[in-house]
Amino acid sequence: MSIREKVDEYKKILDIFPNDQEKYQYLIEKAKENDSFPLELRLDNFKVNGCQSQVWLVPEEKDEKLFFNSDSDALIAKGLVTLIASIYSDEKAEDIVSSEIDLMEEFELGVILSPARRNGAYSMLKTIKEYAKNLVS
Amino acid sequence: MSKFSDIKKDFPIFERDINGKKLTYLDSGATSQKPNSVIDKMNDIYKFNNANVHRGTYVLSSETTSEYESVRYKLQSFLNASESDEIIFTKGTTEALNFLANSIANKFMGEGDEIILSEIEHHANIIPWQMVAEKYKLTINYVKVNDDFSLDLDDLSSKLSSKTKVVSIVGESNLSGMLPDIKEINNLVRSNSDALLIIDGAQLVPHRKVDVQDLGIDFLVFSGHKMLGPTGIGVVWGKKELLNSLDPVYGGGDMIEEVHYDKATWAPVPHKFEAGTPPYVEAIGLGAAVDYLENLGMSEVEKHSDELREYGRKVLLDIDGVNVIHAEQDIAGCTFGMYVDGVHAADLSLMLDTHGVAVRAGHHCVQPFHRKLGIDATIRSTAYIYNDKEDIDTLKSALISSVEILR
Repeated sequence: MSIREKVDEYKKILDIFPNDQEKYQYLIEKAKENDSFPLELRLDNFKVNGCQSQVWLVPEEKDEKLFFNSDSDALIAKGLVTLIASIYSDEKAEDIVSSEIDLMEEFELGVILSPARRNGAYSMLKTIKEYAKNLVS
Repeated sequence: MSKFSDIKKDFPIFERDINGKKLTYLDSGATSQKPNSVIDKMNDIYKFNNANVHRGTYVLSSETTSEYESVRYKLQSFLNASESDEIIFTKGTTEALNFLANSIANKFMGEGDEIILSEIEHHANIIPWQMVAEKYKLTINYVKVNDDFSLDLDDLSSKLSSKTKVVSIVGESNLSGMLPDIKEINNLVRSNSDALLIIDGAQLVPHRKVDVQDLGIDFLVFSGHKMLGPTGIGVVWGKKELLNSLDPVYGGGDMIEEVHYDKATWAPVPHKFEAGTPPYVEAIGLGAAVDYLENLGMSEVEKHSDELREYGRKVLLDIDGVNVIHAEQDIAGCTFGMYVDGVHAADLSLMLDTHGVAVRAGHHCVQPFHRKLGIDATIRSTAYIYNDKEDIDTLKSALISSVEILR
């Protein structure tokens, strides 16, 4: 699935929920499903800056594609980073760099994903893009 | 009917809803909401009177200047200060403490001198002192906080000595609501040292009647925005003779008497401490806020705070799974820090937000004390005059349902 297709898929799912509370509950479920992040990788060099909760993002290159493993000590943030990591995982670095999708505009996720909140998810997206950019160059 | 039963009507923000729910605003410890009278007053100044203060000999400037200066008289009476010149306007509590730290250290302190703070100070009452301590080679000692969140006054006594030059203590804790016995602290400071006593009134002044002469302290600092006023305005009250002896920290227009190319002389207090164009519209807004509070009566404001605290104690202290940080003394502020084992404060506050409940999450600028308690972050509910028992009930039910989802 392309980045666009994955975003559309998530938009469909998020649209089902009528309010922020149910959207957050969906993210909490996603967080609970993501139990693959090893505690020993909660290292400072994998930390994403600017989050109210702690967020870790570990990139990995496999078969010329990028994969992102993520974690957070808060559940809603963890659900959100899990979702974002899955959108950009299994993608080529150049596809990530050239993607112009603005998740802040695509997803209606209340205060946790608003452009005004220049932290958390915003820093995470920036980290993913920068990592891909470095690989391309 | 109580003065408080219909009070939300004076605050236009309560007309809006949050996530389809009525707004339950319990973050007044961070900033208070503003009544129409404050907003209208500031709008009116901009619309009809605006001109820089102390500068022009024309109608607008003279009107604005007298509005601005009249706020000093309002604050003099509000705090029972002996003179209006004892009121210095600043940007807020943080600037006020930075000013005092720098001015006092520069004038009265030298290598080896000591500053006493408490373990539960807000960062604004720690960092300015750390900065001057490094510059002037001073030592900072912290008064212990007991398990019931009271200050350990024996510890204070033991730390006071002839080396102590400043004691700067919170007037009401922004985390636990603890109200230290300021008069007792004042007695201890006077009998064991020659130190200056500063009270950080950021949380105290909005909620309780403060009589600076009765307390006997040397300086009081507070912010306008936590007491119905606008942001960008705060106050240092200081004893006149001390203010006279301190030097300004900021230089510029309006704080001078005579300026030569090689030197300048200062204007008398309070103007020597107010360099440049002051935030006069904000000060006038603060004046309107003081009018609003005086109209309610600070004793009524105190009573309302006490009632909400008692109600908070009744309903918030025994929620399953919720740990509460709240002063155990009879009299305290209506501030409740809360945390749930295994649940992140950020998650909790996001879930509460979906119920329209606004609380602060994080370390509330009291990081060292959170570390002492061994907690990363808490949520904090702080009520003010426009809150009622229903708001506390809403917080409780939102907490229960949020914890159920998050655990």
